[in-house]
Amino acid sequence: HAQQVAATVDEPRKYTLGGITVSGARSLDPNTLIGLSGLRIGDPINIPGEEIGKAIRRIWTQGLVADVSVSIARTEGDKIFLDFNLRERPRLSKFTFTGISKGQGEDLEKKIKLIRGKVVTDALLSNTRTQVRKFYTNKGFLDTKVVIRQVADSALSNSVALKIDVDKGSKVRIHDIAFEGNKAFKDSKLKKQFKKTKERKPYKFLTPGKYQASEFEEDKKKLVDFYNNEGYRDASIVSDTLIRDSKGLALRIKVDAGPKYYFRNITWTGNYLYDSKTLSSVLGIKSGTPYSKETLDKRLSYNPTGQDVTSLYMNDGYLFFQIDPVETKVQGDSIDIEMRVSEGVQARVKEINITGNTKTSDHVLRRTLRTLPGDKFNRELLIRSQREIATLGYFDPEKIGINPVPNQNDGTVDINYTVVEKPSDQITLSGGWGGYAGFIGTVGLVFNNFSLRKAGDWHNWTPVPGGDGQRLALNVQANGLQYQAYSLSFTEPWLGGRKPNSLSVSLNRSISRIAYGGVFDASSGQFIKVNTVTVGLGRQLRVPDDYFTLSNSLSFSQYQTQNYPLLASAAATGTFNNFTINTTLARNSIDNPTYTRRGSSLSLSVSATPPYSAFPGAHPNETQWIELHKWMFDASFFTPIVGKLVLNTRAHFGFIGSYGGRNVGPFERFKMGGAGLGYGGGGSFLVGTEYIGLRGYDDPNAAYAIPTAQQNQSGGLAYNKYVMELRYPVSLNPAATVYVLSFAEAGNSVNSYQEYNPYKLYRSAGFGARIFMSAFGLLGFDYGRAFDSVVPAPGTSNKQDFNHFHFIIGQQIR
Amino acid sequence: CTGYQKLLKSTNVNEKYEAAIKYYDKGDFFRAGTLLEEMIPLLKGRPEAEKAQFYFANTNFMQRNYVLSAYYFKQFTDTYPNSSYTEQANFLRAKSLFRDSPGYQLDQTNTVSALEVIQDYLNTYPTSEFRTEAESMSQELQKKLENKAFQSAKLYYSLRYNQAAVTALGNFNQQYPASVFSEQADFLRLAAQYAWAKESIESKQRERFVDAVAIYQHFIDTYPQSKSLRAAQTMFDDSRAEIERLKSLPADPTAAN
Repeated sequence: HAQQVAATVDEPRKYTLGGITVSGARSLDPNTLIGLSGLRIGDPINIPGEEIGKAIRRIWTQGLVADVSVSIARTEGDKIFLDFNLRERPRLSKFTFTGISKGQGEDLEKKIKLIRGKVVTDALLSNTRTQVRKFYTNKGFLDTKVVIRQVADSALSNSVALKIDVDKGSKVRIHDIAFEGNKAFKDSKLKKQFKKTKERKPYKFLTPGKYQASEFEEDKKKLVDFYNNEGYRDASIVSDTLIRDSKGLALRIKVDAGPKYYFRNITWTGNYLYDSKTLSSVLGIKSGTPYSKETLDKRLSYNPTGQDVTSLYMNDGYLFFQIDPVETKVQGDSIDIEMRVSEGVQARVKEINITGNTKTSDHVLRRTLRTLPGDKFNRELLIRSQREIATLGYFDPEKIGINPVPNQNDGTVDINYTVVEKPSDQITLSGGWGGYAGFIGTVGLVFNNFSLRKAGDWHNWTPVPGGDGQRLALNVQANGLQYQAYSLSFTEPWLGGRKPNSLSVSLNRSISRIAYGGVFDASSGQFIKVNTVTVGLGRQLRVPDDYFTLSNSLSFSQYQTQNYPLLASAAATGTFNNFTINTTLARNSIDNPTYTRRGSSLSLSVSATPPYSAFPGAHPNETQWIELHKWMFDASFFTPIVGKLVLNTRAHFGFIGSYGGRNVGPFERFKMGGAGLGYGGGGSFLVGTEYIGLRGYDDPNAAYAIPTAQQNQSGGLAYNKYVMELRYPVSLNPAATVYVLSFAEAGNSVNSYQEYNPYKLYRSAGFGARIFMSAFGLLGFDYGRAFDSVVPAPGTSNKQDFNHFHFIIGQQIR
Repeated sequence: CTGYQKLLKSTNVNEKYEAAIKYYDKGDFFRAGTLLEEMIPLLKGRPEAEKAQFYFANTNFMQRNYVLSAYYFKQFTDTYPNSSYTEQANFLRAKSLFRDSPGYQLDQTNTVSALEVIQDYLNTYPTSEFRTEAESMSQELQKKLENKAFQSAKLYYSLRYNQAAVTALGNFNQQYPASVFSEQADFLRLAAQYAWAKESIESKQRERFVDAVAIYQHFIDTYPQSKSLRAAQTMFDDSRAEIERLKSLPADPTAAN
């Protein structure tokens, strides 16, 4: 008995655990409980000591028992035998609500996380009660009463059913908010500062007039902030009272505004880089302006609408810059401020860290960043880097994180970029009516973040090897015998990995046969086959600035025809070759490719074939070696108007010419109208026709398509088009970016330069919507209303339809 | 197959448990895992739960669901700190995280947490039978992080951002002084410094060539057997000659040294 005495007098004694017994367990297994306790037979144990407390806590956290106590069963020498006495808790078999509708019961069931089979603890009951109450107080039922009754379940032993009885009471709303002590501002002005706490009025459909304590606290802070901003820096809320009356709730708020203060003299100390005059003009606070801490902070450290003092320094690398505005004198209602500036050293970038790229390789990201180790820190370069990451298209542009971490001890800064990958591959499966060819099925795959390097190892095919920023596109279009088109293209954006010089290779093959009644006669049937190979090299320029790219490509097309009418002229049989050299100079500074807010994109492209006719000797046949030159110019500007509303203005021009005043051969033309998709095929859609949209007018090859685009016409040699579009985003979620737009546009296309008149245009206006889903690309529809009447092809009987709906598939440049 | 379908619908816990263990022993981890997952909540508080939870975690490991197996092994060791399976579970958790670590070109957050878990394991079980394997896993992950750091720094050299390369490779050598890439990093740093000096404006050249010579001296002292000695010497010779040539020019007053 000596040991037991020792234990009771709070003097710890060392024992060896001799054994554990469990009493009171009904459905629980004693050995499991001993295992859960963490105690082991033979371990040393202190009585009293922390081991037993720990063991009890471990059993508790399992939530299986209502009560557990430990007692010493007996001791033998220094061996101790413990007994765990338990009271098990019942388990929840089911729960039901009474006093509320079935629909609300279902809503509640989702909200309160009651899991059948769980052990019913006090915490579970009180949580449930709180959650049910909260559910109703949030709906305005402030007097909700919840009673939970436990009923033993006869079907299962040691189980209970919960009957949750809810008495909602009646809805309580705020009917009146009134202020006291407000001399400078009217009640209505102050009420406006409350963002969530509002009066319920019969005419206000959207304000529920609910009272929520936490939101009201936020609103009170906003009210004080409002006063502070107006110069009342001593303003406070003296009291607020919530009155319950027959009409509901009334709020009485007593404010004490205090005197209004003004800025007087602002002086600067510690500034060497910029003089006080420059700093004062950046700060832009004049003597006599009402005192506002918020305005002061804004102008000092973050000004969304213009320059601030901190960014003046930080953009130049003074990352350790600090400014401390000190009120040196308060005289009456005037405040003097001394700005104590500590400029610090110019920070240099030490490390660039990238996280979050779970698919895209480091180097793909790192090579695009404009912040380089060893360079001076510059905030503008961070913003530029952010744009470059967004332009890659592999990451959620709204979630690019840039976090500069200054290292005070060595005057350097690490820059940590965090990105979130988004799907960038696209799949197209579509079927549609393609004019004379009938039903055309399309299968397209675009892998925008492909890796050729990893393609050798089958482990990486999950489903396709990716992460190296290469682009692979495959497209097959066919409707059986009549029309087939295959294309394959591959782009490496950084050829050799040293400079952003891109290499692209593409192969195309298309075949069109005119079959009558599903029968095609190989020896005399009409067909055209086109094979094209294009190899292009592009590079980023440094001069005039690095938004410029210059790309060159060589392209060779071979057309094989048999009895095939080219340009609605006589049927021709033969082989035609088109060898083209293209040079494109482009500048692209748009901030985000999916929903662009600012920036511009300009492109001038010249494609030319060699001037065979100028070579000595006879030019065999101007159509056998096609001879032409083609000029394309596109300009697109994005300007933010208000908030997210963006104005897009565009201008497009295209000209095709020949050398030495000859006629231009039967290849390459412009056809304008409709959505610009080039549906309704016609004979010429394989011979290098550019389709340009003109909303509000018929698609090319339809009867009321604009002249030069009609079925019996060959297309234009020149076109021009002007567009103004207002865009507003509905959703910027990267899974589906949605925006609505309204437009006004005008364009025309002519087939001789004599007819070309930049002011004679077919005009239209309308509205539409676009949705960008990363798996499908851009889809949309537009309604367009035409303003100018079109002279139809002779013999057309029906009338021009001035209203048109257009379906838009894919991003269109023109 | 029909027997398995029947088992899935069965409500007899004992029968299901027996069958799951049988599938597990046969190596059919998919079926064993599916059955065990259903049973674990029902077995709570029973003696079989311990084995079931360990086996369930291991079925995930065997099926290469490393994220899940790491999670379930952790859950197991938290619940049963004294089980005979605990050490193995701790090891398999570390191994799951090791297997789940992505290639060096990608985000290494998982690698860092795997390293921490392996280190914890080695500290808790210093005499473990898996010690050698755990150590080699740790080394492999360390090397992966080193390689990532080296490749990132080297990229600036490849991109001809010479000043950035000098800084980044210097940072690398500071951070991983005993790396297998140290020699290469030092040589590339010399090459970058030399190229940077070459392309600089004349007033800055002297200072930068002097730095190149300093890096060269450090390089030959540290790696006298290096294969790149000859190339390094060429750069040294030219730097020396350039410094000689630039001596005649007036020193740049804004130069740091």
